[in-house]
Amino acid sequence: MALTFAVSPRAASKARRPGPRGSALRRHLTGWAFAGPATLLVVGLSLFPAGWAFVISQAKWNGIAPATMVGWRNYEQLAQDPDMLAASGHTLLLTVLFVPSSIVLGILLAVALNQRIRLIGFYRTCIFVPYVASAAATGILAGFVFNPQFGAVNEVFRHLGIPAQQFLESPSQALYIVCLIALWGQVGFTTVVYLAALQDIPRELVEAATVDGAGKFRVFRHVTLPELRPVTVFTAVWQTITAMQLFDLIYTTTRGGPLNSTQTIVYYIYELAFQTQRLGYGAAAAYVLFAVTLLLTLVVIWYSRRRGAEVF
Amino acid sequence: MTDPKRALAAGLVLTLSLSACMGGTGDSGKDAAAGYDPNATVELTWWTGQTEVAEATAEKLAAEYHALHPNVTIKTSPGASVADELLTKLSAGFAGGTYPDISYAFGSWAGDLAASGKAQDLTEFVNTPEFKWTEIPEAARQTATVDGKVVAVPALVDNLALIYNKELFDKAGLAYPTDQWSWDDFRNAAKKLTDPATNTYGTAYSVSGSEDTTWHLWPLLWQQGGKILDGNTPAFASPQGVAALETLRVMAVDDKSMYLDQTDEKYLPLFNSGRVGMVISGPWALLELKEAGIAYDVTALPGFNGDHQTVSGPDLWVLLDHQDPNRAGAARDFIAWMTSAETDAKWNLALGNLPLRSTEAHSPEFAAYTKEWPGSQKFFDNLANAKQARPTVSGYAQLSRNVGDAIAKVLQGAATSQEALDEAAKKSAGLVG
Repeated sequence: MALTFAVSPRAASKARRPGPRGSALRRHLTGWAFAGPATLLVVGLSLFPAGWAFVISQAKWNGIAPATMVGWRNYEQLAQDPDMLAASGHTLLLTVLFVPSSIVLGILLAVALNQRIRLIGFYRTCIFVPYVASAAATGILAGFVFNPQFGAVNEVFRHLGIPAQQFLESPSQALYIVCLIALWGQVGFTTVVYLAALQDIPRELVEAATVDGAGKFRVFRHVTLPELRPVTVFTAVWQTITAMQLFDLIYTTTRGGPLNSTQTIVYYIYELAFQTQRLGYGAAAAYVLFAVTLLLTLVVIWYSRRRGAEVF
Repeated sequence: MTDPKRALAAGLVLTLSLSACMGGTGDSGKDAAAGYDPNATVELTWWTGQTEVAEATAEKLAAEYHALHPNVTIKTSPGASVADELLTKLSAGFAGGTYPDISYAFGSWAGDLAASGKAQDLTEFVNTPEFKWTEIPEAARQTATVDGKVVAVPALVDNLALIYNKELFDKAGLAYPTDQWSWDDFRNAAKKLTDPATNTYGTAYSVSGSEDTTWHLWPLLWQQGGKILDGNTPAFASPQGVAALETLRVMAVDDKSMYLDQTDEKYLPLFNSGRVGMVISGPWALLELKEAGIAYDVTALPGFNGDHQTVSGPDLWVLLDHQDPNRAGAARDFIAWMTSAETDAKWNLALGNLPLRSTEAHSPEFAAYTKEWPGSQKFFDNLANAKQARPTVSGYAQLSRNVGDAIAKVLQGAATSQEALDEAAKKSAGLVG
């Protein structure tokens, strides 16, 4: 989605008189003067911490006592760690539930919000507001709503004659409730993206299909949906990353409980590194997550390029 | 653009210099305060780990000390937004070379801080007769000692005791708990106090899996004659450990008389609102109890076979070495003053904590304190029941997390006591030491 402004080839190929050495140096310096600050930022804030984290991932270190280098042992241990396996399972389930739901809901809401009706701006704002609210606030609010004893949802259930549920305090329900809260917060994002995409669909295509006798549903199925495909690749990758990195919501609702049933990989990394001070082991887990995310993204991009939809 | 070999070399240099950041300074064996000149002008940094009222009191005491010793200036700050964060701040400080002279620390960090090589060895200092080391409770002294070396001075002592709601006992027609209660008595009372119709529970337990979950089990284990560690090997999955955990399990699973708190934060407010008959907690609960205006009283923990020992969770002042004998010596003198019976009365007693030294029991401040905080006398007496300390070894945090998970599983009926403790012991093997 990023725009790059490349120098036109003409400017580069403009013939230059071979000048003395000093001018070449000056040109280099000018170049670095432009690129320098940004390079420093990237190196200092991204590459340096990433490099250090990699070194730490090869060590047994608690941040206080001297570290011992252990090579790849942290990674070997991770492969056999039942907690890591469980956390991966939870992350996978969360992603599988969250990504398709947020896309389907996003498309449905975008179509609904693409109508010419009164107060449409207000409705659009309503859908987008939860996305702007901080996940921490969302989590705390949801904690009240889903409280088993005093929460609003159980109150509604009581009126409907449905037995009261434990929600976030039940190991079998908590992850689904977290997913639901995450959806509430994130669906505004996919909706806005799809709304923009819908408005980009050339009017002629829709009109041509209508003239050819296609009904509303057929237009949607054969014109609108294919036109949304490139955007869907983007939202799929983006929402997958969101689901895999979900932390603040879990921290404010369940802290990974009950019985670690909402402990995702990111939360487990936090636990390891900052609760039990196993910085090396936590860094190794973070690198595994990084590798998996990278791989997943590459697979989606490769697949979409093969299908002819270029988005990245 | 750049020569790839040069980039590789630069990366290697970066990596090597990074690994250097992760090392600690070795123990030189020399006393940090050797050659200390008490009249030298020094500036000390003090991380109190306190907030609000306590922080204001700390600043007042630092100013008072400066008035007594004009050559010593103490820069006082909380150090972190909450005391839990201090370890992370210290670890960052060690890596960056800017850490305080004195910091608050939880007892469970002692092993790690000792291993850092940055904590002053205080063994000789505290054993000077002026310091009166033995006035501080035994369990707190053990916590400050790692491998026979004293690495910190206790800052705060506490312990777990049984707090009960008198009104609920009266309503159920039950006799109040006594210091001689057995765990069977506790279970029977919990069962009779429980009333699903009014959402009332006999007792409560945190199943968050944190240290709060874990350390409530240790007194039961010790009363049974069990041990947490045998050398560096986890020893809690013994028959004694299973018996201890079973005692809790029957209440949670069979009797359903135990409210299971998924956080650490709900069970005390529930007790304060009259929904729970008995909780096991420490003197820090007194402040909210008083605000809730509930009719309560405190007794020693129930016991097995007449053993009523409890667990203590002391906090520490750790003194960090900056290779400057004057700073090291001044920090020691300040902490000796801070933890003296006279100053501690203005510090711990004024803030509602238990007194640090046994001699304070005869002070007028202590008399005022017990009057102000009902039940505090019992907590003070209960210090004598704190006979063992949690292990001060590096790796305890991970062991605690594994045991906490095991307890949470058992109390929620997801595993048997033996299975869960065996699994926790297996996971913790090799982490300690």
